[in-house]
Amino acid sequence: MWNKREDEPVRPPSGTQGTLPPASGSERREAAGIGPSITITGDVTGDEDLTILGRVEGKIDLPKHSVTIGQGGRVKADIHAKAVSVAGEVHGNLVASEQIVIRKTATMLGNLTAPRVGLEDGCSFRGSVEMETPPPKGRVAPASPQAGGGATAASPAVAAPKPESAPRS
Amino acid sequence: MAWFSGSRDPAEEARPPGLRCQALKELLGALRPGARHAVLDLGPALSANVRFLSALSCRVRIADLHRSLSVEPVESRRPEAVGALFDRLLPLAAGERFDALLAWDVFDYMRPDQVSALMGRLAPACPPETPVLVLASTGRTIPATPLRYRILDPENLACEGSREPTRPCPRHTQPDLARMMAGFSVRRSVLLRSGLQEYLFVRGEGKEPARAAGAPRGASPRAPWFRRGPR
Repeated sequence: MWNKREDEPVRPPSGTQGTLPPASGSERREAAGIGPSITITGDVTGDEDLTILGRVEGKIDLPKHSVTIGQGGRVKADIHAKAVSVAGEVHGNLVASEQIVIRKTATMLGNLTAPRVGLEDGCSFRGSVEMETPPPKGRVAPASPQAGGGATAASPAVAAPKPESAPRS
Repeated sequence: MAWFSGSRDPAEEARPPGLRCQALKELLGALRPGARHAVLDLGPALSANVRFLSALSCRVRIADLHRSLSVEPVESRRPEAVGALFDRLLPLAAGERFDALLAWDVFDYMRPDQVSALMGRLAPACPPETPVLVLASTGRTIPATPLRYRILDPENLACEGSREPTRPCPRHTQPDLARMMAGFSVRRSVLLRSGLQEYLFVRGEGKEPARAAGAPRGASPRAPWFRRGPR
């Protein structure tokens, strides 16, 4: 509130739930934003992170950057990015080289492909999830949890979930 | 009064409600280690289950059927429209195959003709011996919405979700399910202490699903085979 500079760069509006940290790079950039009243039909490409609060139909291709679909955002497009976070509505296939997060407010219809996929409980999701988890060098992910572990969404070589308790049947 | 409650350890009482599910263990055991598998989960998306199955080299397809059906308009849920409904809700790519199906308790929330249509649609996508995990309640009531079953380990599930309010339980029996799931037969059936009956069906040991031209797959929705009464 105090000492606010008039020339401060415009930040994405607050309430963009699920905003990802900016993609790492030598230069830190603010995310570009598509505001709630904006509708874009066609292909979206670029070299910076993108936050969508409006509507996009077509294709989004930002392979080195993050794409965030805020709670009011509506996207009908395939998305290829480094990381994708969805809190709004998406119809399309998502491919990310790092991670995909589907927030609990999201409505997602399409297929997800990424090494790490997070689905918050309560999200509306229909589609398939494919986690491409190449085993890291020097570590071999066992094929079966019964065998003691395997790749998981959170970590490429973490043991399969252990029982949190011994449930009664 | 420990003696009245079966002398359970207080620590055990504090545990979240869960299920020891041998059918799940058997289903997971049917997945060959090292091979890529496709698993169809008819329940809602749960991150823990996706993680667990992905660790088994599975591609997981989430159908979230209860939610999908509940938002459909009444017209599209009519028996005569049920085939088209599943064509839309669960589109199958040409040649798509599933190595295992997780139905959980979703069938308790569907009409028999809907289950028949669904399984008739899925049967061609399931190679012989494809396992299907079904949980059917034997109580008088069930929660108004399906519970969420979180895989803790290969034979333990945590049950989550609200148990209130309730609705009448359809109390599907094994013959009921076998009729609804033409092309699948029961391999394992165990009544759990929670009142749930766990079933493991497998593809290919029952009769093939009959499908008349233009008719929804599976049994006729008007076939008066489903009977209910106090047990």
